[in-house]
Amino acid sequence: MAINKNSNVYIIIYTVVMVVIVGSLLAFVATWLKLQQDANVLNEQKVSIMKAFGEADANFDDVVKIGLVTDGALTEVAKDDKAAIQKVFDLLGNRKALSEATAELPIFVLEKDGVSKYVLPIVGKGLWGDIWGYVSLQQTEDNIVITGIVMDHAGETPGLGAEIATEGVQGMFTGKALYDADNNFAVRMQKGGAQNEHQVDAITGGTKTCDGVNAMLATSIGKYESFLRGAEATAETDTEECECTECCADECCTECAEEPIVEPVNVEEE
Amino acid sequence: MKLSKNFTNPLAANNPVIVQILGICSALAVTVKLEPAFVMGLSVTFVCAFSNLFMSLLRKGVPSRIRIIVQLVVIATLVIVVDQFLRAYMYDVSKQLSVYVGLIITNCIVMGRVEAFALGNKPWDSFVDGVANGLGYAFILVLVAFFRELFGSGELFGFTILGDWYTPNALMLFPPMALIIIGCIIWVHRSINKDLQEK
Repeated sequence: MAINKNSNVYIIIYTVVMVVIVGSLLAFVATWLKLQQDANVLNEQKVSIMKAFGEADANFDDVVKIGLVTDGALTEVAKDDKAAIQKVFDLLGNRKALSEATAELPIFVLEKDGVSKYVLPIVGKGLWGDIWGYVSLQQTEDNIVITGIVMDHAGETPGLGAEIATEGVQGMFTGKALYDADNNFAVRMQKGGAQNEHQVDAITGGTKTCDGVNAMLATSIGKYESFLRGAEATAETDTEECECTECCADECCTECAEEPIVEPVNVEEE
Repeated sequence: MKLSKNFTNPLAANNPVIVQILGICSALAVTVKLEPAFVMGLSVTFVCAFSNLFMSLLRKGVPSRIRIIVQLVVIATLVIVVDQFLRAYMYDVSKQLSVYVGLIITNCIVMGRVEAFALGNKPWDSFVDGVANGLGYAFILVLVAFFRELFGSGELFGFTILGDWYTPNALMLFPPMALIIIGCIIWVHRSINKDLQEK
C-alpha cells in the first residue's frame, strides 16, 4: 500500500518528527558550545575594560582589582572568590539589570606607579537600541578626569551614530574633567562643537545617539558620584599632605603657614 | 563528466552572483575586509552543500504541500549551527558578520539550489552542486573584498600591504563601492563570455 504523502496525518507526523529531530540537534549544539561562547564573552568584557584603562596589552587577571560600590563605599572582591567575580561579570552582561542596579555597583581598579584608575561600566539607550561601554576615571587635584572610554552599540546607524564605537570619537573624551566650577556633571557631546573644556564635539547626523551617550554618562557615572566625590576628597587631602611636608615632617598641619617648623623642632627635641 | 560540469559551471559560466545576480545583499555588506568575506563564503558553501544533500536525501518523503517549510527548517538549522560555531570559535569574525550569518537563511542561492536542483537529483550530485554554488559565491565575495580592503585600508587579511605612502580611500569602505566592483566584475566576465551578453 503506497503512503499518501499529501494526507493530513502524514504531514502532521512528518512535521512532528522533523521538529523533534531538529530541536534536539540544536539543543545539543547550543549546550555543547555554550561554555566556549561564555568564555568568549567574558574575555571580550575583560579586553574592553583593559582598553578603557589604556593598557590593552596587560592581562586583566594580573593587574585589575574588582570592587563593588555601595553607598559610596568600595568593597574589594577577593581574587579567589570565583562566585562573586562571576556575579560581577554576569551583571555586566545583563544591561537591563546593570542600568537598574543601585547597590553593589561593579568597579574595576588599576593601580600603576602609585596612581589609581577606576573603570566603571556605562549603559544607556541610543537611537535604535542599547549602547554600552566602560569609562576610565582618574582623580586629579581638584577634579576627576576621563582617561579613556570604550563604547559599543547594538544597532546605531553605520557612519553616523555607530561612530561612537570608533577610536576617533572615543579619543576625544580623554582628558575631559567630569565636574565644572559649580560642581555639576559637565561632560557631554555638544551639538555644534565643544564649547568648553568639559565638552566634546557631537557627531553630525548622530544627534540622537549623542544625546543617548550624554544621558548614559550622566546616569551611569552619577550612580558612583558619592564614591567618586569621596575619592576626590581623598585626593585633595593627599595633595595638602604633600604641600605641607616642608613645614610638618610627619603629618599634615593646616596651620603650617602661620607656625612653620614649630612641630618638627618639638619632635626632634623629644 | 556531468559531475565535473556540475562543479565548474557555477564557478564561472553560471556564477550565482555575477550571472544570476543572487546574494547581492550580503556581498555588499561583508566585503569590507577579506577575513569576514572569506568566513561568510565558507559558511554559505557549508549551508548550501549540506542543505542540498539533506533535501536530496529527503526528497522522496517530503510532502509537496509543505516542501518550502521543510527546506526552510533544514536551511535554518544549518545556519544556526554555523552561527553557534562561529560564536564559539571565531568570536571576532562572528561579531563582524553580525546579522548576516543569520541572513544566510534568506540567501536566494541556498533556497534556489535546493528547489531547482536538490529536489530532482541524487544526493552526491546535489552536494557537489551546493559546494560549487557556495564556492562561486565565495569567490566573488573574496574578489570584491580583496579590492575593498587593499584600496580601502591598504591591507590584506589585516596585514599592511600598501605602505605609509598610500592614503586609504575611505570610499572603498562604503557599500556602493562593492556594487561598483561587482559591476566591473560582471563587465569583465561578460566581455569574456560573449554568449551572456544581451542583444
